[in-house]
Amino acid sequence: MAGLTDSLGALLGLPYTDVVVLLGAVVLGVTSGVLGAFAVLRRRSLVGDAISHSTLPGVCLAFLLAGAKDVPGLLVGAAIAGLAAAVLMVGAERLGLPADTAIGVVLSGFFCLGIVLLTYIAGSGNADQAGLGNYLFGQAAGLLISDVAVMAGIGAVALATVVVGRRALTATLFDPAHAAALGLRVRLVEIGMTVLLVVAVVIGVRLVGAILMVAMLVVPTVVARQFVNRLHQVLVLAGAAGAVVGAVGALAATRAQLPTGPVVVLVGVTLALVAVAFAPGRGAIWQAQALARRRRRSRDEALLSDPHAPDRSLMDRYRRTTLRRRGLLADDGSTLTPRGRQQVEDLSERRSLWSAWLAHGWRLDLPDAREPDPHDLAGSLGPQALDQLRRLAATAGGTR
Amino acid sequence: MTDNLVIVIVAGLTATACGLLGPFLVLRRMALLSDAVSHAVLPGIVSVWLVAHTRAPLPVVLGAAAFAVLCVVAIDALRATGLVASDAAIALVFPALFSLGVLGITRYADGIHLDLDSTIYGEIALVPFDTISVGGVDLARAAVVLAVVVLVDLALLALLWKELTATTFDPEFSSTVRLRPQLLNRLLVIAVAVTAVSAFEAVGAILVVTMLIVPAATAYLLTNRLPVLVAGSVGVGWIGAVGGHRLALATDSSIAGAMGLVCTACFVLAVLVSRRRLILAQLLPSVSRGRIVS
Repeated sequence: MAGLTDSLGALLGLPYTDVVVLLGAVVLGVTSGVLGAFAVLRRRSLVGDAISHSTLPGVCLAFLLAGAKDVPGLLVGAAIAGLAAAVLMVGAERLGLPADTAIGVVLSGFFCLGIVLLTYIAGSGNADQAGLGNYLFGQAAGLLISDVAVMAGIGAVALATVVVGRRALTATLFDPAHAAALGLRVRLVEIGMTVLLVVAVVIGVRLVGAILMVAMLVVPTVVARQFVNRLHQVLVLAGAAGAVVGAVGALAATRAQLPTGPVVVLVGVTLALVAVAFAPGRGAIWQAQALARRRRRSRDEALLSDPHAPDRSLMDRYRRTTLRRRGLLADDGSTLTPRGRQQVEDLSERRSLWSAWLAHGWRLDLPDAREPDPHDLAGSLGPQALDQLRRLAATAGGTR
Repeated sequence: MTDNLVIVIVAGLTATACGLLGPFLVLRRMALLSDAVSHAVLPGIVSVWLVAHTRAPLPVVLGAAAFAVLCVVAIDALRATGLVASDAAIALVFPALFSLGVLGITRYADGIHLDLDSTIYGEIALVPFDTISVGGVDLARAAVVLAVVVLVDLALLALLWKELTATTFDPEFSSTVRLRPQLLNRLLVIAVAVTAVSAFEAVGAILVVTMLIVPAATAYLLTNRLPVLVAGSVGVGWIGAVGGHRLALATDSSIAGAMGLVCTACFVLAVLVSRRRLILAQLLPSVSRGRIVS
């Protein structure tokens, strides 16, 4: 491990401490990205929030029991507390509380206990307690390479579990009823997912802190979901996104001597917002453009079908000018040019074909089941089916 | 007034303000939204300090309310894209806003006597030393501010009781009779923000969240009537305030945290009480069988 950090440091031109932070952040990012995906896709992101908050009393109790700040021991404490919180959340929901209230009660109960323990330890004058506060907001500085090795070890086991159990996980995630019918023990798999979530939180809580850890669980999946649709692709991309966010945020925070958690979270949320806005074929901006295109198109078609109608809006006037510039309307703006007339004929042809499809499409002898594109029926059906459709429409029209 | 009495009164006022709103948040499935809003208040406080260099209650409340609304609007906008589920939207927005607040404090706000820890669990022990004079009597500033907030929350409930009840239990019906559930939602969020920010300096983010959710959830287990629910959650909050203060003195720990812990203990007790028959039936099957059948 030490040899690896040295050579990596030489390669990147970074001092030893930065390399340790970088490695830790990458481990954190990959594990929280991949393991958090299951919580996000099940719409249980905020369960992750409650589990992260709940690790605090675990860390404090482990410290009280062990009397020293050794990282593996604290992580075991965090894991036990996280699991207890997960169990209690299910229990509180069984009492008939709304799900979000159940999460809220467990979250605040555990966190209050954590704060009481933390302040109790601080008041007890134990000289070794100084760094425990880091578990609130996260601190990458002071991370040891042995801590990173522990994190990487736990993370590798969890990721291997995901790879081995991927079929069971996928089935339970998307269709629990079907999974149960296949003979899968769905409850068991769901418990497994929660355990994986706890593992992700435990790995991350030292770096990002109990309060903000939830963002690291959610951001990578939100980013990945904007680009790919298949689960294994989402998992891989989420791992990569998590690693990038972790590395950039942790290095920036250590350089600027800021708490690591907030910087990592801001980097991550920025990336998520960029992905939600700009993702090709899916993002908010692409959606808005597609909507605007459809609106323009339907305004254009309305104007061409009835060019003498008075303009009802600024949009109408603007579209009329554009149509004139494209040579579809004459210079007076209300008579069709020959090309415009051609366009209108095409349009009415398309519309009558579409009505024919709606009325008679079910009788077509198609080689496969398909849903044609309303704007391009001819293209999506093919010439043969189109001929059939025309004949059907003609005979039906004749007999009526 | 002794310092301890002032601390308990301030905590009790916080509990009252939160207990009035909490039941509606729980019933409207807004518990975690209120959690998000209480966190989003922090950048409001910090930015008011950065812009105007003041911690006077009114501008701070306005700044915090602005950020609370921003938080809710951002969550709604993310949800409206259809690309992010609502739970993930909450989990993106409030950590981002809270991070901004935390960075603002560590970076620029050495002048604010707000340190990172006090944003989490407050500095209620210092409340008695920050006094203002009202009509010639020295009163703790936080107590005065919180008393005003309690009155505002009370007025909100008194004036809009019918509307709040209707929109809480039957949003569809209430929108057909033009009660505007969405508007009431926003109003409730703003009330939560105002309550959170006024309580924030005294008791910190976590106690606000705890006081909003836990007492209401406790009362929710014990009653089905809304007025009893509201009264009960205020009562549990007061138990938490008094008991938590004792606990904190005994263990030399955070007062705010201990108060939250006592509230949680009340919740656990309520679970046991509301489930006593079931628990008895499992522990002592032969004894309790007769009672359950009769």
